[in-house]
Amino acid sequence: MRGYLAFLKKELMESTRTYKVFLMLVIFAVFGMMSPLIAKLTPQLIGSVVSAQMASAIPTPTAVDSWTQFYKNVAQMGLVILVIVFSGVLANELTKGTLVNVVTKGLSRALVIAAKLTSMALIWTVSLALAFAMAWIYTSYLFGADELPHLGVAVLLLWIFGLFVLSLLMCAASLSTNNYMILLITGAVLVIGLLAGILPPAYHYNPLSLASQNMPLITGAITLSDIGPAIAITVALTAGLVTGAILIFRRRLL
Amino acid sequence: MNGIGEYVPFLIPLIIAQLVLMVVAIIHIVRHPHYRFGNMVVWIIVVAAIGFIGPVVYFVFGRDRDE
Repeated sequence: MRGYLAFLKKELMESTRTYKVFLMLVIFAVFGMMSPLIAKLTPQLIGSVVSAQMASAIPTPTAVDSWTQFYKNVAQMGLVILVIVFSGVLANELTKGTLVNVVTKGLSRALVIAAKLTSMALIWTVSLALAFAMAWIYTSYLFGADELPHLGVAVLLLWIFGLFVLSLLMCAASLSTNNYMILLITGAVLVIGLLAGILPPAYHYNPLSLASQNMPLITGAITLSDIGPAIAITVALTAGLVTGAILIFRRRLL
Repeated sequence: MNGIGEYVPFLIPLIIAQLVLMVVAIIHIVRHPHYRFGNMVVWIIVVAAIGFIGPVVYFVFGRDRDE
């Protein structure tokens, strides 16, 4: 336990010093502020770029548009940035050989993986919470306090999906030392999920629903039980990927 | 049709955050003139021109590992 905590502390310190925490926090804060503003200003922007007539044809934006922007930005761009920022989580240390000391001094490899995952998960949690808080403040100022049900649940699903992506990244990272290879593997798996989304009924089971069905959930087009299986599968896959990452990492040469 | 003017108080924090991101990256580029690839001019252009992806790419891929 002491080894784990020490390594976790080292991970968080490293993430701070390599600007990862800074990047995540600033970018997610920007997403949070940007999304409601984009929704609010779309008619004005179109009015000044195209024509006032065109702008008046657009319905007045509401809080729903604001959250649509938020989930679009965070679920697409936000996750891409999350993956890019943490793509070197193992590779950097493997190429530098700095893990050899720690592991030969007795810190188990499983704990190395666990500590790295914890640190990434913590940064993801804080970043997402920040983005959500910003979006919430901006939306309630710009659109009035519209009571939307399931707002919290929707963001919780996105959070779980983020953890799934991080465990996928960790599994890919334990396979390869090449940054680009890791990005490729992670991307490929997500693209498979995206392709599965073409079949409409697949959304019940597709982990990607956790990052794409947030708006239907908020507007009430679907209920939580519709994507219940997807949630269960995502949690199971996350656990499987973490186990997989540990098993692969145990066998690999440092 | 009212202008964007009334939303300026909301835009200011957003612009400040984006500027902070850019300025921190540019300061880092100038103070650590060794990169994994590319040179100072290229990185400054990348960071200044490509929204928030620029700084991310610089810090993740461009920054020298052993500074």
